[in-house]
Amino acid sequence: MAQHEVEITISKEGEVKVHIKGAKGKSCLVYSKWLSQLVGKVKNQKLTSEHYEPEIKARIDLKQNLGIDE
Amino acid sequence: MGAVLILTPVIIGSWPAITTAVAGAAAAMGLMVSQSVKETLNEGQSDAEQSVELELSDSEVLAESMATDQEIVLTKGAIELRVKRDERGRCSVCAKGTGHSEVELKKIAEEFTQKLTQCFVYDKVMRELKNKDFQVVNEEVSEDESIRIHVRRWMD
Repeated sequence: MAQHEVEITISKEGEVKVHIKGAKGKSCLVYSKWLSQLVGKVKNQKLTSEHYEPEIKARIDLKQNLGIDE
Repeated sequence: MGAVLILTPVIIGSWPAITTAVAGAAAAMGLMVSQSVKETLNEGQSDAEQSVELELSDSEVLAESMATDQEIVLTKGAIELRVKRDERGRCSVCAKGTGHSEVELKKIAEEFTQKLTQCFVYDKVMRELKNKDFQVVNEEVSEDESIRIHVRRWMD
């Protein structure tokens, strides 16, 4: 079971900031799309540092591809 | 993977959805709902009375089940705010009042449209989060008047 968390801040002016946490892979982008369709226009979007951490499977695939044991 | 999004709200809703947000914004600003149906279109405007009209550019009030000339009138002292659907289908706010300058009325109308937007987005987001089985972990209003909502759900 994975825990998905969303922090939403609606400013005094009505602008909305959304922070999606815990959703891995494409599910995060699914949340982004759902929330942007719900609220309005995307002004800015950035992936957090978690995005740039290689996933375990990708690391294993790379190691297998390069023939490196450890 | 995580993401941070900044979204600019677009207000698209039926008249009942708009009126719910109007009521919320009015309560937050200490405005009284004095009329829900426009009946005073032909009232004259006195010489000392200023008026300012603002349109929510990113808005669309769906006309279904809405009577012609329907509007909500809000009052606070000598200030009157009228919220209606204009001829282009957008939501507009008209502020008028005796003894207030155009600048003051514009400021009040802007404050109200911002609060209306915030209330509309809050209602819509909370409704959808509940529909998607999110649990509200925390909800608070900050000193800067922003609303913070923290939700979570478990996925297989």
